[in-house]
Amino acid sequence: MNVREPQRSNVVSQSLAQIGACGLFLLTLLAAVPRSFRYVRETIRQLWFVGAMSLTIIMVCGLFVGMVLMLQLYHVLSIFGGTSASGMVVALSVYRELGPVVTALLFAGRAGTSITAEIGLMRATDQIDAMEMMAVDPIAYVATPRFLAGLIAMPLLCCVFCAMAVFGGHLVGVTWLGIDNGTFWSNMTAVVDVRTDIVNGVLLKSLAFGAVVSLIAVFQGFTTPPTSEGVAYATTRTVVASSIAILALDFVLTAFLM
Amino acid sequence: MTQPVRPPSDDTTLVKIRGLTTVLNGKTIFNALDLDIPRGKITAIMGPSGTGKTTLLKHITGQMRADAGEIRVNGENVAELSREQLYKMREGIGYLFQNSALLTDFDVFENVAFPLRQHTKLPEVLIRDLVLLKLQAVGLRGAARLTPNELSGGMARRVALARAIVFDPMLILYDEPFVGLDPVALNQVLKLIRTLNQTLGITSVLVAHELAAVQRVADHVFLIANGKVVAQGDPKTIANDGSAWTRQFFGGEADGPVPFQYPAGDLAQALGFAGAAK
Repeated sequence: MNVREPQRSNVVSQSLAQIGACGLFLLTLLAAVPRSFRYVRETIRQLWFVGAMSLTIIMVCGLFVGMVLMLQLYHVLSIFGGTSASGMVVALSVYRELGPVVTALLFAGRAGTSITAEIGLMRATDQIDAMEMMAVDPIAYVATPRFLAGLIAMPLLCCVFCAMAVFGGHLVGVTWLGIDNGTFWSNMTAVVDVRTDIVNGVLLKSLAFGAVVSLIAVFQGFTTPPTSEGVAYATTRTVVASSIAILALDFVLTAFLM
Repeated sequence: MTQPVRPPSDDTTLVKIRGLTTVLNGKTIFNALDLDIPRGKITAIMGPSGTGKTTLLKHITGQMRADAGEIRVNGENVAELSREQLYKMREGIGYLFQNSALLTDFDVFENVAFPLRQHTKLPEVLIRDLVLLKLQAVGLRGAARLTPNELSGGMARRVALARAIVFDPMLILYDEPFVGLDPVALNQVLKLIRTLNQTLGITSVLVAHELAAVQRVADHVFLIANGKVVAQGDPKTIANDGSAWTRQFFGGEADGPVPFQYPAGDLAQALGFAGAAK
């Protein structure tokens, strides 16, 4: 017991130190935003890598999430004779929770890891130091464009995810299970509120998740020990920390926005 | 024979280091180190592994801050420079990294063009001409469209050199430029270092272990050990100055002032023979 106690406190203090360092890194990033405006092309290039290149996985996953959700809801709601409400429940679930959360988790796995690994390898091969030596600020040139790209890409990806999920729900509910097309859409449009569900649910949450995932990915890349093992650990930490942060932040945002 | 430590006068000294003290992770790397890099010359910094040669280069460029002491580059105190001033100073310094540190997103041409694109608004035609001239100088104009992973170690180092001289710097720092090169590539790099020094008058500092290569190119050698300059002088004669440091380092002796064994406790105790130590 006596042996384990200091280890536990060590883990807690290390975690707190990491959170503090991450917060300071965020301030550095934000301070570098004006300097990074001269690297707009780099931001657009990163937007392509983290946004456009993630489209396939987001679209496929969105489609299947919508399909599965409709299938499950149809069977549960059929017990109460409420299958006509399936489309509405699919839409609300996707817009309010599943869309932003699943998109962010996928984004962390697809784009977050790639950002961390890329920056970590740049550090391991002295590319970051080389930029410093060429009088190019690596925070403004490397970190901020990736952070901004993640921030911009996440809401857009979330919209695509939600659209595909609703399409998947329609495919299963209307085409396969025989729910009336008009009922499907009219129930959905009657209940979905633009401010509560689209702005607060889809856009605001995904913007916050995009900021958190991008920050964690860039921070882990910049602070990783410049070794192959260090890069591997940093990539893992990006997924783990991002996933926990997304779910915790989702709870906080839901509590405040509902 | 080696000469006593005697700094040259200010106008002939580009880098002046006084009382440099650095402690990393509880280990003293430099202990009140004094060193002068003369203008327009090739100066070699030599010493055992882990003695802080690369750290010294990082101090000169302001990448690392010292615990005490002063470093002046071209008269400017590096520690007192703001970030903008430090970046301005670095535009006048070329740095050749041990592993070349080419940007893997770009091809050879774009790597050499990178500093020009970042710091100038030159028209594309002029950037192209400048880059091709620098690549011609290192013999790699024909490799302009190759990517870094298509280059051999020697070629990558020459591309990195082209990038380092793209602004015609006043000072070039070479970190282990000869490591892992075959004899042909080694000779090419040696020739380039000498040519750049003679034709452009660039002050060069090279960190290296290879005495034979250093003797062919350097004007002056500093041997660093135990956080201080333990010997300095002409590269052709420094190995024969008779001190224990130079005898071990240049003679390649396994044991001497640099101990074979990393500091450790008593072996008998470590093996569990409690009374054996006595």
